[in-house]
Amino acid sequence: MRRTVTLIVLVVTALLLQTTVFSRVTLMGAKPQFVYMITVLMAMLEGPSTGAVMGFAGGMAQDFLQNAPKGVTALTLTLLGYMVGLVRQYIVTPSPLLPMVLVALGTFGGIIFYGIVSALIGEMHVGWAYMFKMAFMSGVYNGVLTPLVFPLLKRMTEGIAAPRRVFRW
Amino acid sequence: MVVGSRARRTRLLVVALVALSLLTITLDYRQGTTGPLEVLGKTALAVIAPLQEAVTKVTNPVANFFSGLAHLPSLQQENRKLKAQLDATRQEMIKTADYETKIQTLEDLLALRESLNPETVAAVVVGSSVSDFEWSITIDKGSSAGVQPGTPVVASTGGNSVPGMTGALVGRVIRVTPYSADVMLIIDPESKVGARVFTSGVLGLVEGRGTGDLQMTQIPANASVRLDDVVSTVWWSYGNLQNRYPPGIVIGRVSRVLQDTGDMDKFVTVRPAVDFSSLEFVLVVKTAGTQ
Repeated sequence: MRRTVTLIVLVVTALLLQTTVFSRVTLMGAKPQFVYMITVLMAMLEGPSTGAVMGFAGGMAQDFLQNAPKGVTALTLTLLGYMVGLVRQYIVTPSPLLPMVLVALGTFGGIIFYGIVSALIGEMHVGWAYMFKMAFMSGVYNGVLTPLVFPLLKRMTEGIAAPRRVFRW
Repeated sequence: MVVGSRARRTRLLVVALVALSLLTITLDYRQGTTGPLEVLGKTALAVIAPLQEAVTKVTNPVANFFSGLAHLPSLQQENRKLKAQLDATRQEMIKTADYETKIQTLEDLLALRESLNPETVAAVVVGSSVSDFEWSITIDKGSSAGVQPGTPVVASTGGNSVPGMTGALVGRVIRVTPYSADVMLIIDPESKVGARVFTSGVLGLVEGRGTGDLQMTQIPANASVRLDDVVSTVWWSYGNLQNRYPPGIVIGRVSRVLQDTGDMDKFVTVRPAVDFSSLEFVLVVKTAGTQ
């Protein structure tokens, strides 16, 4: 219960920051995409299952605040969370840059995927050049902000970790 | 064995979530602007708007500061002059400047409000779009204040007013909850406004392009349009359809005219009269626009 509430607070805070203070503090016109960032970091910290659930919930919340087709961000972030969680299992580097790189690449790839799905359902109202530029800038912005968010999120998830199951062979 | 079943469970979970997302996309695609998903959207907006209002109030000075940093090159000269005075009075000056701007904007809005014939509702901008691919704002007034979907939203022109014209066009209301509303800005690619070039009377359609200036289309190649001409809203009706914007509201000024594009139409861009990056107060014009 505490875990669910914490994650809801996290998503709402992310959306609030994105639509208020960071809507004016942009990087060449791009806002940071905090829900993308949280999805990638949660997938990294807790695996593909949590990544997918977090992505779906955060994406759906973002969808309902937009005047865009509902469900596209949820679809994007579900797959992003799942894939980052899977990929993370095969990366063994202890580099502190890993969260930044994963967030930057995940955000870039996620936004491009969002654009492709939007275009497929005929709801893409901006050009591809603009879409790529925004995906790139948001990726960079998210990557730069990751060191501020990651330690916070790590401490938070450690405090609210799901009860561990003990498997006996 | 256990690991395998966990991976299978995760895959099943992802398939279920993807299916749910696809179902939502399909439902949304079919329902249009009415239906259960739209109700959920309004609920989400109703929940987050008061929180946005609170956060905006607290973080506005911070946002102003960082927003100012983004425009640093043009402010360098001014900064040099101010540096000497920045020591003890720094905080005080920032506050005073902020209040003065607000007072000036509110005075302009008051004058605009008095000059507008239809009834208006003053509102504060509490948030903006969550995405980089749509251009909208959230205001702190909703259906309880008489705001309805489709109603136009204007702002003061910030000292660039044009004689005989009332305010500058911001956009139109697209979603309403009792105490908040979403406004699609005229720079959004889905926005289209019937417009007239003030001096020559040439008619056209002003379309949003996201970033950069607006584009005025449907202008014949031989029409007279000059740089810096004022472009305003115009009244039109076609069958049962009529313009949703009252006439005579400034949209902006012509910023570019390409005479010979090889097309039937002239290529004209319009710089909006409103600075959307620093919009804080607006007026919702309660008028009967149907389309």
